[in-house]
Amino acid sequence: MNAQEIVDKTTRGTPRVLVFACRWCALVGADAAGRGKADLPASFRVIPVECAAMVEPDSVLRAYAGGADGVAVLGCHLGGCRFNDANHVALKRMEALGDLLDTVGIGRRRLLLSFGTAHEGRQFAEVLGTFFRELTPLPSLEGWRKTLLNQPSFR
Amino acid sequence: MPGVIAILCRCCGQIEPEVDLQALRERIGREAGVVSVEVLDSLCLPEDGAAIVQAVESSGADRILLAACSPYGKAGDVVSALCARGIDRSRVRLIDIREGCAWIHRGDRTGATAKACDLLCMGLGFLQYGGCSTDAVVAVRPECLVAGAGSAGLAAAVSIARAGFQVHLVERAAEGGGMLRLISRVYPTDVEAAEKLRPYLEEVERNPRIVFHPKTRVVSATGFAGDFKVRLASATGDVNVRVGAVILATGAGVWLPRGLYRYGELKEVLTLMELERRQREGKTAAKRSVFIQCAGARCPERPYCATMCCPSSIKNAVLFRKADPDAEVTILHRDIMTPGHILERYYRSALDAGVRFIRFDPAQPPVVSGDGHVEHVEVFDAISGVKREIETDQVILSTPLVANTDNAKLAELFHVPLDGYGFFREDYPLHPLETRQGGIFICGSARWPVSSTEAATQGEGAAMKALAILGREKLSARSMSRLPEGKLGHARIEDSSCSGCGNCVAVCPYEACTLQRMGGAFVSRANKMRCRACGSCTAVCPNGTVQMPEHNARAVGAMIRRAFAEGDAG
Amino acid sequence: MTPEIPRDNPRQGKADALPVLVEGGGAAGITACLDLAAAGRRVHLVESTAVLGGQVLRLDKIYPTDHCAFCPLWTDIRRLKEAPGIIVHLLSRVVSLEASAEGSLATIVTKPPFIAPERCISCGKCAEACSPEAALPLGEHIYPPSFHIDEGLCNRCGCCAGVCPTAAIDLDRKEERQTLKIGKAIRATGFREAELSPLPEFGYGLHPDIMTSLEFEAWTAEAGQNGGRIVCKSGGGRPANIAFIQCSGARDDRLLPWCSAVCCMHAIKQASWVKRRDPGIDCWIFYTDLRTVGRDYYAYSLRATERAGVRLVRGRPGLVHPLPGGDGIAVKFEDTMTQKREIRRFDMVVLNGNLRPAVGDGYPADGAAQDNACGFAVEPADVAQSACQGSSAALKIMIGGEEGPCRA
Repeated sequence: MNAQEIVDKTTRGTPRVLVFACRWCALVGADAAGRGKADLPASFRVIPVECAAMVEPDSVLRAYAGGADGVAVLGCHLGGCRFNDANHVALKRMEALGDLLDTVGIGRRRLLLSFGTAHEGRQFAEVLGTFFRELTPLPSLEGWRKTLLNQPSFR
Repeated sequence: MPGVIAILCRCCGQIEPEVDLQALRERIGREAGVVSVEVLDSLCLPEDGAAIVQAVESSGADRILLAACSPYGKAGDVVSALCARGIDRSRVRLIDIREGCAWIHRGDRTGATAKACDLLCMGLGFLQYGGCSTDAVVAVRPECLVAGAGSAGLAAAVSIARAGFQVHLVERAAEGGGMLRLISRVYPTDVEAAEKLRPYLEEVERNPRIVFHPKTRVVSATGFAGDFKVRLASATGDVNVRVGAVILATGAGVWLPRGLYRYGELKEVLTLMELERRQREGKTAAKRSVFIQCAGARCPERPYCATMCCPSSIKNAVLFRKADPDAEVTILHRDIMTPGHILERYYRSALDAGVRFIRFDPAQPPVVSGDGHVEHVEVFDAISGVKREIETDQVILSTPLVANTDNAKLAELFHVPLDGYGFFREDYPLHPLETRQGGIFICGSARWPVSSTEAATQGEGAAMKALAILGREKLSARSMSRLPEGKLGHARIEDSSCSGCGNCVAVCPYEACTLQRMGGAFVSRANKMRCRACGSCTAVCPNGTVQMPEHNARAVGAMIRRAFAEGDAG
Repeated sequence: MTPEIPRDNPRQGKADALPVLVEGGGAAGITACLDLAAAGRRVHLVESTAVLGGQVLRLDKIYPTDHCAFCPLWTDIRRLKEAPGIIVHLLSRVVSLEASAEGSLATIVTKPPFIAPERCISCGKCAEACSPEAALPLGEHIYPPSFHIDEGLCNRCGCCAGVCPTAAIDLDRKEERQTLKIGKAIRATGFREAELSPLPEFGYGLHPDIMTSLEFEAWTAEAGQNGGRIVCKSGGGRPANIAFIQCSGARDDRLLPWCSAVCCMHAIKQASWVKRRDPGIDCWIFYTDLRTVGRDYYAYSLRATERAGVRLVRGRPGLVHPLPGGDGIAVKFEDTMTQKREIRRFDMVVLNGNLRPAVGDGYPADGAAQDNACGFAVEPADVAQSACQGSSAALKIMIGGEEGPCRA
């Protein structure tokens, strides 16, 4: 699905995705997608991190609160982490976070974990494209945000 | 609030069709803290360096936000060039608005421009809240520890000594030589093992830079690359050494095939090692002998090929045939593992020498039988499709090397991982001699079974890696990173808020965090030399005490907050 | 950045101040360069192609970790780029090396590319303007990132130079020669494929789907033209089965008497990746001895065979020939473990084994050790061995060239 089709499919615009990409495999894949001039919606932003293990659950929740409809955590493929399999730790942590997201009503479908499949441009585009497609039919998080942000302690 | 200069690259017109640079310029110019915005045609051409420096200096900014192409391309070089002029890397932030924006959002100029604005604001937030860790620099001890005085350890020790540095060569046996002491001749040259060892052992004796510690073990180790404190224990007492690098060359162990092929039950069923001892003792070989390969290797308990068994059997088989042209020598095998040029020729020489090779299917292994003494071996010759009964005086079982039992202890002392078979595990492909811990290297059969020649090559290679450390007066923490250009400093822990929970200690892949007593409580301390700035600790800290200054929580929070600011307006 | 302060080493003689020449920018050469630079030595790296990375860069995945091949490479190449003491000469070769008492004089000939990498911004305008399609990007994640003009295809029309925004193109660039004063040299020139024409029974050249293993690697690479999909070259359909034939060229006195060491694992890796991408494709490996000697290699082969279903047949096929009408390829073989002979139709055939040292006629017959050479140039070696040997060669230079202990 290209950018135009996704925009046509929904009235509220393309889902917004915040991507935490490790600066090894994942970011290299994003770069390759760029050089391959892949076609992607402009509604995602990338935050480079040293390792997927650096991504805190806190950051993911803040991302939803800050306007993201989906969060993607991209790391090197399992067995390829430069930091001695820290990505395994990240995987476990994010899977546990998925449970939490289900509990609080955000839903684990809004959290994408991709270890290793984002190391080539074409796959980076596919992984993100699929994620956009999955997020599109989901209801907006605005209601959740309004309730949450009314709590003064959160900001 | 530091002053930031934003430099936007037009990339010679590559970016403008998709991203409205004017809008971007106005948007970022409005942000608090931005003291100057420049739009330049290009940043990466050889003539551009001066223009950038000029713009930075005249703006008075102390931080630089660049909007250009991908960090993996030319823009990365631009950043490196800036840092080479003395600007700290944490004060430069590169935002990719070409591969990461203009080129993937063609046809959506509004969206792409909004994204570029967001990305730049995120980068600004990062620069404004990001800190800067001081690099750690340690004095390097000009000495090296080599654990194990076999082929690999001897090569390593001699190499380092010749390069001009003191070596502590530790060996648990009474003399050096390792496995070569147990064998008669070395393949493929058939040189006597003792002959091969002699020059190394002589050098150990006469080179004043090599301190040999026989009958000694390593019992404790602390420290980091540049300064390891190691305690050596022997019957005569303990010795403490401080070394800049450690090379683990402890070799492999021998495995006894009890119960396999009637070993231990029938006389004259031997292992290769037992055969080697007989050769050394000058005992004549049996008239008829059968070698059985993969005896206890490439099986469920030890699913690996131990490299040396095929060439070793070939070596002995050919020696038998040369000593006695009437000797009947048969090698029963599943594959003949002689890769390469030299070993393939070695295999052929065995065929020429009249050694008989019979291939069997692992599903139908040979059967060894006899009454008290081995008498024959029954094997289904898979290539001819017939069962053969070979009468023999001797059966030699070609067993694999197994991991040295000392490896587990050393792995614990030095915090280096082992693989599933108990051998030391290297850190990464293309770096086969390096471990997870900086300054600790592995070589020889301690790493994976190899021939003595290959072990010596690896020992020399490990010595080279050690020399990179030993050859410096001082070593910086930043240089320990796999990619120093981007290393995010290292973890910093605020004593006052650390609760001593130990999460960071548990999760750190490099054992860089330790709990230490402070007053009545425990507080975590991060060793800067061990820290590789992966950030695992920051994610598990319950109260945000441990931070990577360059990538701290406030900076990340600023990025997240600003990620969709423009998108809201659009 | 804190400068690393080199120690005054009492053993450093005058000759040691001279730079080291490393010939070959592959796994062994890059490792040697980085090691020498880390130890404070200056290095001239001479590479014959336009990019660093050697043969590993041509691979899609590497065994036994199944990493992308460029993955471990690119970090090292970037470190090499950042290292102040290393000067890289691409598209260059050493034409002479004259030793003298104080070092050597190396003459290097460089064929500068039409597109200057230091000026290329990878915008692609030259490729758009080029009708013979001679201008193409050098590849993914390579150093230097640049477009490159294939001189063989270029018709010198100059359209590219007209549209290049940075004036990076000069079609008149001439060969350059320079003489360097160096101390010692390391040869790490790696391997190349040998011509298969002396072995007509393998049918190479008779059908587009009979290819060498490196051609298959490029054809099925994720970063390649098919994006990792397994399709036939003729017709583009999905192959039902693929034959991997080992020792085609190697262990054969007609061509290469040696074993190329890396091919068995290479075929197992290729077959297991075919299975990973398309489990329905039947993969057969025809081998003589399945050499799985290195770390984790045997376990890797077990996963390929027992778990992924790659078939092993012990026997080198005697004939590979396209079937009439070009529909499929006949492979005639004997399974020597069962003595059954068969002619089976395959959709693709991958020939593995024809690797020889890139420079020279082969390996010396008497097995004489070659000084300061490492990697495949000396003896067939995989990536791990090449890296170890690169470090070892660097070490020998550091210890001043005294004869090492006996290495019988």
